[in-house]
Amino acid sequence: MTKYKVTGSVPFDGHQPGEEFEAEYDDDLEDRALERGSIEVVGARTSKKKEASNDA
Amino acid sequence: MPKRVALKDSFMVDTSDLSNFARAVSVSFTDDQVDVSGFSATGVNEYLNGPRTQTVTVTFYGAYGTGETHAVLYPLYKNRTTTVIKWRADQTAVVSVTNPELRGNAKLFSYGPGSTRGDTDTYDVTFTAIDAAGFDWFTT
Repeated sequence: MTKYKVTGSVPFDGHQPGEEFEAEYDDDLEDRALERGSIEVVGARTSKKKEASNDA
Repeated sequence: MPKRVALKDSFMVDTSDLSNFARAVSVSFTDDQVDVSGFSATGVNEYLNGPRTQTVTVTFYGAYGTGETHAVLYPLYKNRTTTVIKWRADQTAVVSVTNPELRGNAKLFSYGPGSTRGDTDTYDVTFTAIDAAGFDWFTT
């Protein structure tokens, strides 16, 4: 599970702007949501996709 | 279910809740009508259902802020992304038999925002079902 925060003004997956929540999303969905600024990862972790490419 | 005035609809695209940026939703499920008529005494045509096309067209307000309409929709079109859409009548109630949710995997095959001086910035976006499961109504 990863901890996220809803950024911007649009609710995300039932969570309100500013709310922090834990969830498990597939890599592509997570990357799209991070890219457009819908959510951010709380803490220092980068996106799972980037982590995977760094590990390779 | 009683009659209703559409006010509390929920519309989600790619897990983002764009309900407040949408003002109309129109669902279209259409089967090709295949003519399989042969000679007959009455001359009435005979049909079978052919391929099915399912679309959901939404009128969105143009909004270009972080995570808003354009930021959600345009990348889906640009990158030919498959995403999930969800629509139900009452966002304040859970999905149920009396508040069913339309869901399915969709793509955008066109994207065309615009504007007219003095008018509210709105544009229609059509989501097309793109796999065999299609769009369907769920009660849980």
